[in-house]
Amino acid sequence: MTNSFQIKIFDYLQKHNIQNFIGVPDSTLKEFISYGLKNKKIIVTTREEEAIGIATGMCLSGSDSLVFMQNAGFANSLSTITSLVKLYKIPMIFLIGWRGYLKDDAPEHLQIGKIQPELIKIIELPSKTLSENNWKKNCDWAIKKIKNNSPCALIVKREFHD
Amino acid sequence: MIRKEAMKIILDQIALSPIISANGFMSRDLFELKEKISNFYMIGSMGLASSIGLGVALKNPRKKIYVFDGDGNILMNLGSLVTTGYLCPKNLIHIIFDNNSHESTGGQPTASNEIELSKFGQVCNYKVFTITDKTSLKNCFKKIKKINQSVMIVIKISKSDVRSHRVSLKPEFIKKRFMNSLKLKK
Repeated sequence: MTNSFQIKIFDYLQKHNIQNFIGVPDSTLKEFISYGLKNKKIIVTTREEEAIGIATGMCLSGSDSLVFMQNAGFANSLSTITSLVKLYKIPMIFLIGWRGYLKDDAPEHLQIGKIQPELIKIIELPSKTLSENNWKKNCDWAIKKIKNNSPCALIVKREFHD
Repeated sequence: MIRKEAMKIILDQIALSPIISANGFMSRDLFELKEKISNFYMIGSMGLASSIGLGVALKNPRKKIYVFDGDGNILMNLGSLVTTGYLCPKNLIHIIFDNNSHESTGGQPTASNEIELSKFGQVCNYKVFTITDKTSLKNCFKKIKKINQSVMIVIKISKSDVRSHRVSLKPEFIKKRFMNSLKLKK
C-alpha cells in the first residue's frame, strides 16, 4: 500500500462522518496513523481493548468511530469484540494491519497471520480486505455497515518488509 | 460499609446522571438499587468500564459521567488511567469500590491493600479521594461539584454475602435507551 493510499482512506472516512480514530500503532498502518496524528485526530491507547472501550463510549454518544490495530492486537481483543461490540451491536469500524500475510514475515506474526481470515470469520465480524483498486468501494461498504448498526473490519495486508 | 450501602449513598447524590457500571456484582447491585435508562450495565468485557466512561465523557462535556468500577476491574485496565490522565476530561468521576477481592468470581484476593489504587490516580492527573466511612462519602460528593478535573474516589468496602439479581435486560435494549438518555438535556 502506498503512502497516499492510506492518507486517502483517512480523508475519505473523515469526510463520511467517521469522527474518532482510536487505537494502538501498527507499522503496516503507519501512514494512516501518522497522517491522523498530524491532524490531531488520533487517540493512541495502551492496549487495543481500551481503544474499543473508548470507541464504544463515543458510539453510545452518537459519534462514529474507527479502531485501528495490528492483528496481534486483534487477537488481544477477541473477548471484547464478542462480549461488548457484538453483544450490544456497537457499530464501529476496525482497521486491522495483517502481519504474517507474507510467508516470510517475522516469526512472531506467522501463526496469527495464518489464522487471521478464519478468526474473523469465526467471530462473525464482516470484513473486506483493502487494495489500491477497491479501497473506496470497501470503505463505502464499511460506512453502510455501521449505519445499519453492524460492526465490521477493513484489513490491510502487510506486503513489504522493513 | 458494603458495596450496596456505599452505592445507595452515591445514588442519592447524583440524581439521573449517566453511569457505566462494571461487570459482575457491580452492575447487579446498581440494577437492583436504581434501575434507570441512563445506566449502562456492562455485562461482559471485564475491565473496560473506565474506558467506556472515558469515551462517553469526552463526547458529553456538559454532563458528569460516573463509572462504577471495582478493584479487580480497574487492575485489568490500569492503562485506561494513563489515557484518561493524558486526555483530562473534566466531567469524569471514576468510583472504585475496593473490597480487595474479585467478589464476583468467589472472593479471590487482589493486591489493592498492598498497592494503593489511589496512587495511580494521583500520577494520572485525577483529583483523588480515599473514603472509609459513610459520612466522608456523603461529604465527598459536596466537594466534587466544584472540581474541574477528572475525579477518582476509592471507597474501601467490606466483602459481603448480599447478592443482587442478574441484570435481566437485553444488551441491545440497554444500549438503545442509554443512547437516548444521553440526548436528553438533563
